[in-house]
Amino acid sequence: MDILPVFLDASSYILILILVALGLMIVFGMMGVINMAHGELFMIGAYVMVMAQSYGLPFVAGLILAPLVVGFLGLVIEAGLIRHIYLRPLDTILATWGLSIALKQLIVLLFGPESQSVVGPVDGSLVIGDFQYPIYRLILMGASIALIAGTFWIFLKTDFGLMARAVIARPETAAALGIDTRRMYRLSFVIGTALAGLAGALVAPLISVDPQMGLGYLVPGFLSILVGGAGPLAGVLVGGTIVGGVNNLLAVWISPVTALIAVYIIAILIIRLRPEGLLGNRRAK
Amino acid sequence: MLEITGLTSGYGGARVLSDVECKIPDGKVTALMGRNGMGKTTFIKTIMGLLKTEAGSIRFDGAAIERLSTFEISRLGIGYVPQGREVFDQFTVLENLRLSLLGHSIKSQDGLDQIYEWFPILKERADQRAGTFSGGQQQILAIARALIANPRMLLLDEPTEGIQPSIVHEIGEKLAAIAKETGLTILVVEQNVDMVRTIASDALFMENGQIVDSCSISELERDDSLLRRYLSV
Repeated sequence: MDILPVFLDASSYILILILVALGLMIVFGMMGVINMAHGELFMIGAYVMVMAQSYGLPFVAGLILAPLVVGFLGLVIEAGLIRHIYLRPLDTILATWGLSIALKQLIVLLFGPESQSVVGPVDGSLVIGDFQYPIYRLILMGASIALIAGTFWIFLKTDFGLMARAVIARPETAAALGIDTRRMYRLSFVIGTALAGLAGALVAPLISVDPQMGLGYLVPGFLSILVGGAGPLAGVLVGGTIVGGVNNLLAVWISPVTALIAVYIIAILIIRLRPEGLLGNRRAK
Repeated sequence: MLEITGLTSGYGGARVLSDVECKIPDGKVTALMGRNGMGKTTFIKTIMGLLKTEAGSIRFDGAAIERLSTFEISRLGIGYVPQGREVFDQFTVLENLRLSLLGHSIKSQDGLDQIYEWFPILKERADQRAGTFSGGQQQILAIARALIANPRMLLLDEPTEGIQPSIVHEIGEKLAAIAKETGLTILVVEQNVDMVRTIASDALFMENGQIVDSCSISELERDDSLLRRYLSV
């Protein structure tokens, strides 16, 4: 077995996982909202791509529509639900879990329970000597890296990011400096959901798009945050790499079941030894 | 002018302030004094909208502000220096200052020059993390952060708490000079009598969640019975 494609497959999985986990982390780190419906927002992103293709729109149009539609949905969810339960983690789990069931059923009603397929924009392979690898997977990796870097740039380098981090660290003081904390929460929630939608649309050609697909990314997404630490954004990079890497590589080399067992054992050990996560000690306060 | 009538507030079910009445005149420094637990911080936080007004009204230059959000109150021109300073330790000095400009949608950097003129140490250490500052330096930063947005009124909650005596005096003199120079209205919660003498012209005394007495600082100099009664100095 050639080892390079295996690592490339693992890398593309890790990058998508990081994208999903980043959205989760922004929402959790900022608002204390544990969004159980995040996986469904990811799923809806993929379905927007399905819809776009059924109307004969090009792949790029789907990539533009998915974050817009899902971001708008995020805005509606924030205004109608999340706004009322900020900083009450237990209530947010229940409310967003309910929401995730409702969204899943909505998709079943609209598209049926069966899986849909999305055609990638390019189907050739890159061939260099003996090595060959699907071009779309390489594009996906590049796009994911750009998105992850873009998100870090927004939160670490821009004025918006400075205000967002201030609201995370000291919400009352930030408000006393004239920062509209509610608006920051809303914008961050929309950014987090739009990221999930875009990730769903990007990955749609590579997986079977069905109403259950969200959970397969939500659970490892949360594990990534727990392992990496829910404070600095960089925690997601470490957590996503460990969780995604172990899961994907062991699934190929041994078996998917062994891989999952290994992921959970590693997660439990890390959480037991470092409850704040690997980078959690440097939590910004 | 800040006019407070019948103000009642507290934490959840626990009422701390009941029926507070007072007027904070423009262009003066007023000290709010009283023992611990009498409601001084609750009072300041209620003005800032950080605690809900249960009854009564707070009028700032004639406009009712008791139902506004904290950020709106801040944008109306009330600066707030919280107890314990609450600077953003992970951010640099400049980032701390810029946050206040961003919060008030002030594009111009002119305020920064004024702040650097008043507090040269902030210019020297603009790129240093606020968390590495001493308590006194953090206090200066917290005051500067409120002043940079050019407020009409400044609320200071125990600015000398936990700060070296030498810096306390320096901060007092600086604040007095700035108040004189700009005509800024200041309401300062303070237990340090020397600090009050340095900056304030009037004093209010709070006991059990009410304003129970007031006097000018010159009266206080002649007769310190009020201090003994309300502070047990």
